[in-house]
Amino acid sequence: MKVEIYDALMRRQTSRRDVLRGTASAAALLGLSGAMGGIAGTASAADDLRAQILQIPGVGKGSPTDADWQKVGELCLGPTKANVTQGEFVGVELTFMGLNNQNLHNFLFRGFLKPWEAYTGAKINWIDLAQADYNARLQQSIATGTVDFDILEMGAPFEGDTAGRGLLDEMPDWVGKQIDADDLVSYLKPPVGTWDSKIYRVTIDGDCHTFAYRKDYFGEGSISGMAEPPKTWQEVNEASKALIGKTDPLTGQPAYGYLDPLKGWGGFGFYFIENRATAYAKYPGDPAWLFDPENMKPLVNNPAWVQAIQDVLDLIAAKAYPADQINADPGTTAFSQFLAGTGAMLMWWGDVGSGARTSDTSVVGDVVGFGINRGSNRVFNRMTGQWEDKYNEAPNMAYLGWGIYVTKRVSSDEKKRKAAWSAAAHLGGKDLSLWTSAYPSGFQPYRQSNFNYDEWEKAGYDRAYIEDYLGSNADSYNHPNAAIEPRIPGIFQYYSVAEDELAKGFAGQYKTAQETADAIAGAWEKITDQIGRDSQLKLYRASLGL
Amino acid sequence: MSTVEGDLLHTVEAGAISANRRFWGRTVLWLSAIWFVASFLLQGAHELGWTDWGFVNWRPVLYAYFLWAAVLCVTRVVIYGEAGKKALFVLPAALFVVSMVVFPLIFALWIGFSDWNLASSTGRRFNGLDNVRRMIADPFYTNALLNMILYCLAIAVEYAIAFGLALLLNQEIIARKFWRVTFLVPLMLSPVAVSWMVGKSMMETRFGPVARLARWLGWENPSFFGDPLTARLSIMIMDAWTFIPFMMIMLLAGLQALSREVLEAAEVDGATKWQRFWKVIFPLMLPVSVTAVMIRIIFKLKLADIIITVTSGGPGGATDSVTSFIYREYRDRSNVGYGTLLALVYLVIIVFGMTVLMKFSDRIVKRMTGRL
Repeated sequence: MKVEIYDALMRRQTSRRDVLRGTASAAALLGLSGAMGGIAGTASAADDLRAQILQIPGVGKGSPTDADWQKVGELCLGPTKANVTQGEFVGVELTFMGLNNQNLHNFLFRGFLKPWEAYTGAKINWIDLAQADYNARLQQSIATGTVDFDILEMGAPFEGDTAGRGLLDEMPDWVGKQIDADDLVSYLKPPVGTWDSKIYRVTIDGDCHTFAYRKDYFGEGSISGMAEPPKTWQEVNEASKALIGKTDPLTGQPAYGYLDPLKGWGGFGFYFIENRATAYAKYPGDPAWLFDPENMKPLVNNPAWVQAIQDVLDLIAAKAYPADQINADPGTTAFSQFLAGTGAMLMWWGDVGSGARTSDTSVVGDVVGFGINRGSNRVFNRMTGQWEDKYNEAPNMAYLGWGIYVTKRVSSDEKKRKAAWSAAAHLGGKDLSLWTSAYPSGFQPYRQSNFNYDEWEKAGYDRAYIEDYLGSNADSYNHPNAAIEPRIPGIFQYYSVAEDELAKGFAGQYKTAQETADAIAGAWEKITDQIGRDSQLKLYRASLGL
Repeated sequence: MSTVEGDLLHTVEAGAISANRRFWGRTVLWLSAIWFVASFLLQGAHELGWTDWGFVNWRPVLYAYFLWAAVLCVTRVVIYGEAGKKALFVLPAALFVVSMVVFPLIFALWIGFSDWNLASSTGRRFNGLDNVRRMIADPFYTNALLNMILYCLAIAVEYAIAFGLALLLNQEIIARKFWRVTFLVPLMLSPVAVSWMVGKSMMETRFGPVARLARWLGWENPSFFGDPLTARLSIMIMDAWTFIPFMMIMLLAGLQALSREVLEAAEVDGATKWQRFWKVIFPLMLPVSVTAVMIRIIFKLKLADIIITVTSGGPGGATDSVTSFIYREYRDRSNVGYGTLLALVYLVIIVFGMTVLMKFSDRIVKRMTGRL
């Protein structure tokens, strides 16, 4: 669970009694199962374990420590023991490269893997990287042929840079069974994590953008004049225009509608124009929405994308945004605007929903609601080149979450290879994922089993909030028309250059939305040619599972 | 005239060097040089795919260079004796400059004329003048260069303010030392801190104190980065706020070094305050002023941090600097070849521009101070 979400939940706990009740339930469960001893079946033993790890350190009992991580790692060693004998990897030394964001990621991995090291006899050396250094370090290692790590924590968008270049080791079948890969939410199943139908990834995280809105802006007699929050992007724009000149019911400041970030954010800002575009451009049944899978031509200047850009230009022209919105990046729209009471609607990762209730500067905690990405009442079919008047929605799976990968460095040494995959499988274990979902870890839920609300409630969580927060994630993850990011090399280069062109378009330096979109397409063509069109096309098709 | 015969005052060792010693010195030097060159050529051929034979990486070549450099230094003494010792005072520094400046520059040229995107599986490829052509047609780079001209022109205003403050702080005012330290505080702050404190917090349109003040003054909907002109001005003001103290302190030092006799002579001659400033102080301060402005220009040409943090070059590239654009090209797009060329061209422009500017300012100083 992201730290902010955990903090949010802690603040949301209605009373200490609820926590105690949850703890008591779990304790009762443990006691019962203990009393039943051998009568209890495997399923109940598994339930016991899950209930047990959810009590480490216990909901509302402060942030977990290294001792807690080790305890969880020890309790979740069962699947490892089924595949590896004690001391099997004595003498094996592995290097693990990952992040140290917020003192999580690698810090947790160290704790989780300590019991694994003690059991297997392997030793792990660590390379900790700050988020800002990660991309440069990875790209330089690849470009200069100096890959010096055996296990890698990596986001799926970089699979093109690594798996696409043959730098990763294929996941053995036993790993998939150990981690119960079938339990992953739909969108994280292959083709995500695969190249040329080979699996390379042990998923440990999920990501998507969800819709957050102010409940006090919508409803009978509300200032937007809309009984329900917008369901489509057309309605989002209508609501935004309708709010011009109105006053925010909570803060008394000017009211605003949807908050588009109009400034770049190191490539990440492009995800936000994607949110609008997916509803128009992601046609059901067609996985391609950014590039043509036949020739790698950008789709970013087709009528669907142009409509998304036009929507933003319309709101700029209508002066529907706060002053200086042209200088607002996604961080600003989420944390300086929406949470501070400016604006009625926003798309963001899971952090915002929780921040609404935890941040000291947030004023919208009691009036925020969630949903999946908004849809459209028409969708563009790129195959026919025609708009079709029918409702369409396509949640944007922005960034696809973190995974554990094993590099080719271990491929020639079977013992080392098995050790590396065993470590990865331990971190991607089903029970461990419940713990990382429930406590501060930097990771979001990513398995079907993570959405068993009863488990959360028994552990002492507030069910109403859990259902609200997790529900929007679950609905996005399992959506049949989810827009999946192509995992091609240099994907963030495309995003970055698009941000520059969009900034010009939004500043009025291009005459039309079409001209802006054409400029992006032109820049994307140059990047594709520079990186290599044939290889990009091949890798793009592989990433789409074609 | 040999050293031994002509400069005995500075000579410690005057003994003759044997032919045998010279021979072995030269032999070792040549062997190390051959090893260095051969390993370089071998690894180069290996990297280019001409031969399968080579090292895993360039490290052995680097070690060969270190060895050659060390042998070069030692054999100066072995072969030339006392004269070689004198050379040793300079040679290590020269080798250091070659290693850390000349070689990287040559290597940068090698990369600058390449198509090298870190995401490309083909790696670095020589592409002739393609990067130059691309640069000429790149509206973002041209825009950034034009912005740099505007940013540099703003130094004239900064200089005037800094001179005014320096004159003020040179007077016998109350708590002069306190004011001097206070005025220096912005210079002590990191530009990134300034970006967040001023650009992102104080100038925040809703709750920022600057925005509140603007509202109080009648600006209904204050926006400091909303349109190109205001955004450029805001960036210039933030940058100026940080660096005016730097110019001020240099000018203040210059003012304090002025000869009191000259100023008193002007006063005795009946010069008004303005005449004393314009006819005496200003011309006498020109050398210091030129130095301060030149250094400020160099700082200005590197302007990036405030822009990257506050506007990312926007709106629509209005505040982009060359450095912030190159930063995006490198960091966000891993476009090493093109980014390097842009940096090299910028370096050439700076060197050429600064040389012309120095010549020009030298003439002005000479003319105004009557030394022409």
